Amino acid sequence: MPMKLDYMVRETGSNLGRNFTITLASVMTVAVSLALVGASLMLRTGVENATQRWQGGIEFVVFLRPDASQAQIDAVARDLQDSPDVANIKFVDKQAAFEEFKVLFSDSPEMVTSVQPDDLPPSFRVEPMDKDVLSVEALGSQFSDKSGVDSVVFASETIRLIQQLSSRLTVGIFVIASFLLGAAGLLILNTIRMAMFARRREIEVMKLVGATNWFIRVPFMLEGLVQGMLGALAAILALAAFRPFFQQWLPNPQDFPLVSGFFVSGAEIAGIFVLLGVVGVLIGAIGAGVAVTRFLDV
Amino acid sequence: MIKLENVTKTYKTSTVALREANVEIDKGEFVFLVGASGSGKSTFIRLLNKEETPEAGHIYVAGKDIGQLSNWKVPFLRRNIGCVFQDFKLLTNKTVYENVAFALEVIGRPRSVIQTQVPAILDLVGLGHKAASFPDELSGGEQQRVSVARAFVNRPLILLADEPTGNLDPATSVGIMRLLDRINKTGTTVVMATHDRGIVDTMRRRVIEIDRGSIVRDQARGVYE
Repeated sequence: MPMKLDYMVRETGSNLGRNFTITLASVMTVAVSLALVGASLMLRTGVENATQRWQGGIEFVVFLRPDASQAQIDAVARDLQDSPDVANIKFVDKQAAFEEFKVLFSDSPEMVTSVQPDDLPPSFRVEPMDKDVLSVEALGSQFSDKSGVDSVVFASETIRLIQQLSSRLTVGIFVIASFLLGAAGLLILNTIRMAMFARRREIEVMKLVGATNWFIRVPFMLEGLVQGMLGALAAILALAAFRPFFQQWLPNPQDFPLVSGFFVSGAEIAGIFVLLGVVGVLIGAIGAGVAVTRFLDV
Repeated sequence: MIKLENVTKTYKTSTVALREANVEIDKGEFVFLVGASGSGKSTFIRLLNKEETPEAGHIYVAGKDIGQLSNWKVPFLRRNIGCVFQDFKLLTNKTVYENVAFALEVIGRPRSVIQTQVPAILDLVGLGHKAASFPDELSGGEQQRVSVARAFVNRPLILLADEPTGNLDPATSVGIMRLLDRINKTGTTVVMATHDRGIVDTMRRRVIEIDRGSIVRDQARGVYE
């Protein structure tokens, strides 16, 4: 059936204006909760990026010289595999190291263009059997003098601390954010119900003269959708504005040389923003849908 | 046009609003439903509009069994049925013109149709000069004319009126009845529930009397009692 677009837009607009304060409340709740979700996602991505080489129980990295021969590499690999104290190793060749480098320095293209894959050292990431600090150090230092090895780098206590802290923080923020998102959904539901109650006479007349249920429903559902979308937009703007502070607030690379790149790349930010937008729209549409369905039984 | 076969409607409180009703109304008829308050007149009207569904029996409107009608088709049934109520049900924040136009707008009629139909129907009910007024600025009789205009603007096959003169004085009621009579003469079937003895006795149309849910009298050119 022909849906009149101008009618829908007009109705949605006047509904949003009518309950301005409550609309504002639901938009703000959506914004705050989505901003929290976004911030925790950014934090987690940042920590993951910074400690990328320390994921999955990796305790130390054996860096080879960039000019190490294949025979030297094979010898180190054999020694590592044969050692009874080594649980797992992962070889990162020059090309893979370059890919990681590109991600870590994606915000400074001049660094990326000045470096070739050949300039970077290949490395072994080692997961030992025994995670105790002393035994890890004893095991790692066995390899520091092998031919072709440049250096052995250990995961410091700081990195473990950061990883732990960030995972707890992320969980905490997510719990709070999901409560807030629930509240936002209920607020939107309530706003739509009030809007429908304010217009119950109109709805009654519409049904009597034969307007279809969808015709009555759509402006109200659009209203919820717009609320969710505005909230998501506000959250995205807030996160974008705070991103520079967010970066500064993180550990200084000079203090923790291993946390070389605590940052979130543009693509990752975009992904998080898209996710926030989708969640915002869904919360709005679902809240409105529930409200409308309860009100509109034929 | 309208046919009820053994229709029974009971409300949750187990009061029987309509019992084993059998009625046939032809196209173009004018029918009065009379009876005491709570006898089942309004239920009769609400059943035709599918605002209520009967427990038993079949209701045919324009040849279709509306008991079989799925929910999403109900709006299309209602586009063939105009409704007028005792309390007018006008939207107070819209002008007379907008109230009537609203009925066409929400069923998706193009603007060009609205712009020709609405002034024409307002002229028909004698309110062309009040198009820009709000319902609160009109007398009760004028408000009911607006409501009739809204019900008839879509040229429905059937016009249902539930005590349309219930809130009006006798002189004003006569005006509304003349209007309904005119609409009936265009071929529209009119079913009107009423308490108004004077109107029924002067119009001398078909009268169906309902008493505690049962049809006790069906009389052509009848009187109130």
